[in-house]
Amino acid sequence: MATATTDLEVFTGAPPAPPPRPRVLLAGTTLAAGSAAMVVLTLIAIYARLRDDVIGSGEVWLPEGSNLQLTPGSMGMATLALSLVTVAWIVQALRNDDRGHALMAFAISLLLGAAYINGVAFGWQQLGLGVTSSTQALLIYTITGLHVAMTGVGMLYLAVMGFRSVGGQLTGRAAEGVSAAALYWYVTVGVYAVVWYTITITK
Amino acid sequence: MTVTEAPRDTALEAAAPSLSAPPTGLAAVVGSGDPRTIGKLFVGTSLLFLVASAVAGALVGIEQYDSAGNEIFGAATAVRVFTLHETTLLFLGLLPLLVGLATAVVPLQVGAATLAFPRASAAAYWVWLVSGGLVLASYGIDGGPYGTELDAVGLYIAGLVTVAVALTVATISVVTTVLTLRAPGMSLRRTPLFSWSMVVGGTVWLLTLPVLGGVLLLTYLDLRYGQQFLGGADGVYDRVAWLFWQPTLYMAAVPALGIIADVVPVFARRRHQRHAGAMFLLGLAAALGFGAWAQLGVSIDGSIAPTPWLYDGPWIVVGVAAVVPVLGLLGLWTRTLAKGKVRLGTPLILAQFAGLLMLVGVAAGVATVIEDLELVGTTWMTAQTLLVLTGAVVAGLAGVAFWAPKLYGKLVPDGFTRLGGTLVFLGALVAAVPQAVAGLAFDQARFFAGGVGTVDAGDLDTVETLDLVSGVGLAVVALGLLVAGLALARRRSGEGPGNDPWDGHTLEWATSSPPAIGHFASLPPITSEAPLYDARHAAQAAATDSTEASS
Repeated sequence: MATATTDLEVFTGAPPAPPPRPRVLLAGTTLAAGSAAMVVLTLIAIYARLRDDVIGSGEVWLPEGSNLQLTPGSMGMATLALSLVTVAWIVQALRNDDRGHALMAFAISLLLGAAYINGVAFGWQQLGLGVTSSTQALLIYTITGLHVAMTGVGMLYLAVMGFRSVGGQLTGRAAEGVSAAALYWYVTVGVYAVVWYTITITK
Repeated sequence: MTVTEAPRDTALEAAAPSLSAPPTGLAAVVGSGDPRTIGKLFVGTSLLFLVASAVAGALVGIEQYDSAGNEIFGAATAVRVFTLHETTLLFLGLLPLLVGLATAVVPLQVGAATLAFPRASAAAYWVWLVSGGLVLASYGIDGGPYGTELDAVGLYIAGLVTVAVALTVATISVVTTVLTLRAPGMSLRRTPLFSWSMVVGGTVWLLTLPVLGGVLLLTYLDLRYGQQFLGGADGVYDRVAWLFWQPTLYMAAVPALGIIADVVPVFARRRHQRHAGAMFLLGLAAALGFGAWAQLGVSIDGSIAPTPWLYDGPWIVVGVAAVVPVLGLLGLWTRTLAKGKVRLGTPLILAQFAGLLMLVGVAAGVATVIEDLELVGTTWMTAQTLLVLTGAVVAGLAGVAFWAPKLYGKLVPDGFTRLGGTLVFLGALVAAVPQAVAGLAFDQARFFAGGVGTVDAGDLDTVETLDLVSGVGLAVVALGLLVAGLALARRRSGEGPGNDPWDGHTLEWATSSPPAIGHFASLPPITSEAPLYDARHAAQAAATDSTEASS
């Protein structure tokens, strides 16, 4: 009993636990990511409706001379799917205060993002359509270009959080910034899945 | 991202003694991340834009009257001025007015030290201001919808896209504040109704404004790269106009309903009846206001050919259902007023005017979905837009009068504010009723969709007279807004109004007027949605008990 009393005294004498940190950045990022996704999804809806109208009138959707290949788009999807794993790896590593693994995962994620952008640029080169050549080309370039911009923002977000974790600002107890950047990245990949299916798969 | 983080810490650091003197004058305004300063900037500037909008609307009405003999700027320009009137009313007037009020008041209501992203909100204001200026400037150089100078039309589109982005950022800051920075004890269930209305209404804005941004971005590229499959300069306004029609129209009214819901119980000196029910009804109003799916007249090739299944089903259901939350809230407010001891202050009077305008506007929306009346595309819809949006503006004025002690540290003069709000209310009715009559009886088409071309030649004089009356109504609205602006400029001098001049119910009244940086030295216990009301009644009950005991 005496030991228990001593323990209790030690316990009550300790400073109070810090209040849980409000997840401001995570909530803000959720709202911002939702808004960003709506921009691309709006254009996808327009693309799908226009395509439906054209095909419904008995015409071919993609103009003659275009070369929308399956491979670059699908490679982009596979690349971004891989990045889902590496970004989750960042979050998990920081949660365990394993900064070495976290930094490695940051680097690989950014590399995968860059590879995806490179793949899109390659796809644009192969497409064989000028931006001004047709409505279809305008839509394809606008949608994929916007998604590249969305990916660029995600990479910047991840890079900033990577630098902050190198600087020791982000730890297992306060890694909300990384969780927020990861959430944005997941949304970006999800949006690309819709872009990929609508433009590359259905053609 | 790092610069917008940890606002509470920032505010507390800012509250601590500093070695360098704080900036004053212009530097204090331009560099401020203080929610009150940003909110005041939004409110003041949006009132100016609202006056410009009403003046533009009035000029169009006058131009319409005997247009062959009394030309102000010609029929072609009149169409462009009409789009200026509507664009300014919503994007440069109403939405920023509500966002500005929320920026200043919401952190106080939820017991936060500051906004979630104060610097982002400040940036949003300045971006919005510059972009709004570009939108107006585009009209001056023959741009805007139906403009002849394509670069200037592009400037209008780019300006409007940036306005949408700025309003989105400011809204994210407000909504995040409510979601994450509420004081201990304040569950979402206990959130004040204006803050709650910003959560639900703001979320719908965050889902709708990006849709506008996306569509306009495509329109810009189409215009820029010569395809013009979206109709060129003449098709631009088709991409914007859906925001002025139901159901999207209602999204702007949700925070306005929240303002009324906070004003009514304070002036009834009674707790809001069925607070949870009011939260549900505000949520329902917001859900019904998500209308990006119903872009009437926005077919992709520029023709007005709405998707049949949408307009045979969901559009009718939403049009009819939209009246439910407004009626429900009016019922709750009537019950609250009936059970309380009403004090007829200026904010309550303006709130009642606002509720009435919005109710009539929503009822007009119900009539729109009745196919046999053939009101779609007529000035009946213009009237509905005017009623709902001006109703929300009057609610905004009620909010400014109510929260003036927290915004400015002073009360606004009752007489001026009441006169201004009344003029806006009456002007809106005078402007809307003739438009509704012209649409219902004479089948007058909405301006941008073809002017008065569908009116029989024999009815033209009558319709022109109705347009003139409508223009006069909008002139009265402009006058009312000027008087209300004057009221703000002539804030009561002398000593401040004290922390709580209205015997308020929610946390913003627990701090000083105007609030210091960091807002609260300490917070009262929060055990309900009306903590100050609880504390006041507990103190009264204790005083009564002690009097009885001593006697």
